[in-house]
Amino acid sequence: MSAVVGIDRARYVYPRGGVVALEEITVEIPEGQSLGVVGQNGSGKTTLTKLMNGLLKPNSGRVLVDGRDTAKASVQELAGDVGYVFQNPNHQLFAPTVADELAFGPRNIGVPEAEIPERVAEAVEFFGLADILALHPYRISFPLRKLVGIASIFTMRPRVFILDEPTTGQDHRTTSTINRLIRRLRDRGSTVVCVAHDMPLLADVSERLIVMWNGRLIADGTPREVFADRAAMERTHLAPPQITQLSLALPGRTGRPAALAVGELVGEFGGAVGSAGTGSGEA
Amino acid sequence: MQIQTAMLHVRGASWLHRLSPIAKLAWLVAIMCFAFASYNPVPLFAIVLAGLVMAMTAGLLTPILKVLLVFTPVTASMLVIQAIAPAVCSDDCTPATTIGPLVIYQEGISHGLSLTSRVLSMEVIAILALITTNPADLFSAFARLRVPYMLNFMVSMTLQLIPVLQREVQIVLSAQRSRGMKSHGFGSVVPSFVPVFAGAFERVQQLSISLESRAFGSSGQKTSYRQVRFGRLDRAVAILGLAVGLAGTVVGLIWWSADATPVIVLPVWATVAIFIVAAVMFVGIIVAALLAIARS
Repeated sequence: MSAVVGIDRARYVYPRGGVVALEEITVEIPEGQSLGVVGQNGSGKTTLTKLMNGLLKPNSGRVLVDGRDTAKASVQELAGDVGYVFQNPNHQLFAPTVADELAFGPRNIGVPEAEIPERVAEAVEFFGLADILALHPYRISFPLRKLVGIASIFTMRPRVFILDEPTTGQDHRTTSTINRLIRRLRDRGSTVVCVAHDMPLLADVSERLIVMWNGRLIADGTPREVFADRAAMERTHLAPPQITQLSLALPGRTGRPAALAVGELVGEFGGAVGSAGTGSGEA
Repeated sequence: MQIQTAMLHVRGASWLHRLSPIAKLAWLVAIMCFAFASYNPVPLFAIVLAGLVMAMTAGLLTPILKVLLVFTPVTASMLVIQAIAPAVCSDDCTPATTIGPLVIYQEGISHGLSLTSRVLSMEVIAILALITTNPADLFSAFARLRVPYMLNFMVSMTLQLIPVLQREVQIVLSAQRSRGMKSHGFGSVVPSFVPVFAGAFERVQQLSISLESRAFGSSGQKTSYRQVRFGRLDRAVAILGLAVGLAGTVVGLIWWSADATPVIVLPVWATVAIFIVAAVMFVGIIVAALLAIARS
């Protein structure tokens, strides 16, 4: 798989206060990969993703999106390729109705007018927004606003979909929808970068995890490998999903890969579980 | 390393930081009174220079210049507009020179210099006081000066909301740019007002609920965790400031008032130079800001 995002020794220092947010980060994200980014607050996760859509330009090093240097492209030019869902939907939403909100992004990136209703309809169906289409985004609940924020990027159909802490403060239903969204995007061949503290979600949907610590990338691998990396977990004070912790602690499983879902572990013992116990968000 | 916090405050330990906020407020009031009383730009520009020297001795020249730069288009516009369309004379204005189709008037340049020096002198001293005073200390200083608690709190909270809103505007603009919105022209910024103002109202509402839940508005003597020191030296500096302000105001009203100060007649080259510098600052900074937005 070719890399759709290539970060080569990128360093970023915030101009105000001189805080070094990223120290020579190198990472390549192949097309179609679902990548989880974890780390403590202030470790550089969001800064890293903002480099990918050009909101921040590296002080040194390079960030390439589909071979294009983000330092030489504006955010608007990159918006068609990299969709960024902000943590707080209130920062994104402004249109008079949810329907206008969903059409705003595609219109900006030059999608033909005739195609926009089809894209909006797809998002409405997927996110279940039919009942609120005519409402002002500020008249709907916060979880729904979050979904509208994500849907407003979904309609742009970017090649790279960045989600910044999508499940923070969300109820189970919204978390499940976000889980399904990431799977669907992955199935469609989109690249997904998900910054989150929600380890069960990342265990469920990520093919690869990277761990950030003090602006550095200290671990990179599959969720099984990363969650089993005790040094990285302890250094960053991260806790793998409880089922993973249990699988790693069980006597007699030494050397076997960490389990990411209840079903996997039960399966090892010859049992079976219902759909409720398979992972995090799927219910 | 200087760290910028809420409001304009820049953390540090310079002599200006150590000076009591009450003494700084006394000097600010004194300079404001003098600036309103005096029409003569010479002493007013001398205050600007003195303020910049003070900032330099406290290692704050760069931050103060950065803040001044933000106000530059407004200050420079006064000079430019007055030079070509003086408010002090109408048909009897004296042309100093012409630049292309523009006629520059002596009275206009003189009046523009007076207005600019008034604004700049107050700006420099006010910014110096703000960037060297912790917002909490400013609150305590007002409380010590017996400013009503509610009014003091409102002023302090309003000042602290400004940088919060500035940050919010940046985030909202980033979010809109991420959806391909072109950040050109005023029209493109308008959509960002909705989330910023909606967020501001929500924030204020949550703040008021949070304050009420912590017994804000209850009667009794209010205390402050931070205590403002007001020692002998601070007292002396404050008294000196008020005395200088009082004397300056009297002098300003008698010798340097609008009626008493003659129109400054500058050589043509100086008039042209001042006008061009002001025009470049006025237009140049606006164009540079728009280009920076367009590039981002």
